[in-house]
Amino acid sequence: MLTYLTRRNTIAGAILLVIGVAYGLLTVALPNRSLPNTPGPAFFPWLITGGLILLSLALLLQSPMRNGHSSSQASPDRLETRCLLALIWFAVYLVLLPYAGFLAASVPFFAGLMWLYGERKRLVLTLASVIVPVGLFYSFRLGFQILLPTGVW
Amino acid sequence: MNGDILQGFMQAVQPSSLIATALGSMLGISVGMIPGMTISTGIVIVLPLTFVLDPNMSIALLLGLYVGGMMGGSFSAILLNIPGTPSAAATALDGHPLVARGEAGRALGIAILASFSGGLFSFFCLFLIAPNLADLALGFRAPDLFSLVFLGLTVICSFAAKSLIKGLLSAVIGLAIVSIGQDPVMGTARFTFGDANLLSGIHFLTALIGLFAIPQLIENLRTAEAGRAPRAPKLRFEGIWPALSDLRRIRLPIGIGSVIGTFLGILPGAGGPIAAFISYDYAHKTAREPAKFGKGAVEGIAAPESANNAVTGGALVPMMTLGIPGDPVTAILIGALLVHGLAPGPLLFIERADFAYGLIFSFFWANIFNLIIAFAGLRLLVKLIAMPRAILMPTIAILCVVGSYALRNSLFDVYVMFFFGLLGIGMKWLDMPVVPLLLALVLGRPLEEHLRIALTGSQGDVSIFFTSPFSVFFLSLSAVSIVWSIVSARRSSQAGAAGPGFSE
Repeated sequence: MLTYLTRRNTIAGAILLVIGVAYGLLTVALPNRSLPNTPGPAFFPWLITGGLILLSLALLLQSPMRNGHSSSQASPDRLETRCLLALIWFAVYLVLLPYAGFLAASVPFFAGLMWLYGERKRLVLTLASVIVPVGLFYSFRLGFQILLPTGVW
Repeated sequence: MNGDILQGFMQAVQPSSLIATALGSMLGISVGMIPGMTISTGIVIVLPLTFVLDPNMSIALLLGLYVGGMMGGSFSAILLNIPGTPSAAATALDGHPLVARGEAGRALGIAILASFSGGLFSFFCLFLIAPNLADLALGFRAPDLFSLVFLGLTVICSFAAKSLIKGLLSAVIGLAIVSIGQDPVMGTARFTFGDANLLSGIHFLTALIGLFAIPQLIENLRTAEAGRAPRAPKLRFEGIWPALSDLRRIRLPIGIGSVIGTFLGILPGAGGPIAAFISYDYAHKTAREPAKFGKGAVEGIAAPESANNAVTGGALVPMMTLGIPGDPVTAILIGALLVHGLAPGPLLFIERADFAYGLIFSFFWANIFNLIIAFAGLRLLVKLIAMPRAILMPTIAILCVVGSYALRNSLFDVYVMFFFGLLGIGMKWLDMPVVPLLLALVLGRPLEEHLRIALTGSQGDVSIFFTSPFSVFFLSLSAVSIVWSIVSARRSSQAGAAGPGFSE
């Protein structure tokens, strides 16, 4: 039976092998613009393709051979629900950012993250999630002349 | 030359530069001492500022943060037995037992002094070695430069990886990412899928923010205990200034640590953690009372602390003279310089020698400010250990967005940053180091450029890489590095131990 990390290595090796092949197929489509006997734009990507495929294969082959040693390499990490929620919340924030603008999107994002980090006091949640984004927005706008997205509304 | 040194000195002592250095040091110490924060994350916080500040101030701020972060890491290592940075792990071995004996002030005082001494020693090495190495590097031609960049990449991969295959894979993924956009020789668009945003490629700093900050936010969330941070320890800080007897005892360990740290700093990829543990080991072997090590020996604090701070100056040598980053932080410094149109490398000492010397002197001031801020503000700084994660981490998340957006005023970069964040999490899940990928993003373009220019010049004849003595030398070192890392990977696999890695 494969250990947890070995299984992950196998999955990674397979995914990277697919990526390597796809990268190679994209490299084939690159225009060939070079003088005779000189490397063109596709030269370096071909080297990378070779490297990706060979190393992915090595990882795939190495995984079963290392079975038994791997369990000591790293403890199995579990992507907890809280972490997954944070990532989804981050993605939602990034989708809303161009439409809602920095301020309107950042306040609920900040509050949500605070909640995920364990903050339950409503006053602290409200104050921090308003003060920090507003403070950052105006610091960058007035202090450093960086105009953050203001939204479409 | 002397005029440039003077100009560099004057630039570094301008009030704006000094304020930036001091601010950087303070921020660095704070970031370094907060468990769960790394120097790289600290840099993410100030990165947007560096886009709008002038280059001297930007680099002074970042150098202050770099040097301060190294020292700050030791504070939490000593007080809580939780190293603030990986480099401080060795310091905890003897630092924390001293705290347990009620001698926190003594332990911190020795750590501060050792850090300062290591940093100062590496400043002198940087000042003496960098200009001469830059002079030598001016004679390098395309084959030499390719071999040099290749060496940098192989050394970094072998040092940064627990598994050589995963380290190399990480670097190759980085090279694949760097191949997106216009190719460096002919300007042909590659892998852009017709998107104009991809024509100029993936910006290195955007990738950096995602790779380092987002996985750390998630990691902190995983370990967060209902948002609570470690409590600030209530300690007595008498005797912060080291006694004369302690000074006598730490002279040799500081010397050992400074030399080892500077040397390993110059070697790309070795980094602070390795330097700290090797120095600790040497200090242990040369100590009069080795049995006291691990039980609160002051030599056991002085050696690793001087070493990890000496690494900072050492790492600046290849960064400034060859454009090769020694660790993630110097890779970020390269990115920050490029944003301002300054390319690190031998020409920096010719075209902008005043700036190059200004950088060296800013490094000197960063060490001075570190000493002052650490001794003067120790009681206040220690309270930062208890900073609530529930406010700190969301602030960093928002700064990630601001930092990547501010780079080119583009939301596309924000999405790229998030993509790299997910990539970083995936790589962590696979136990694959991100440092080789990061450094491949920095070195990939010059690697391809020098390779293609060299092969174009030789009409595709690869023997050109074996005709120049410099190129042969660098390629031989690359071969040694690869063989050495294969051997050490086998040894560590047999011993079931993890190999060295760093993620400052």
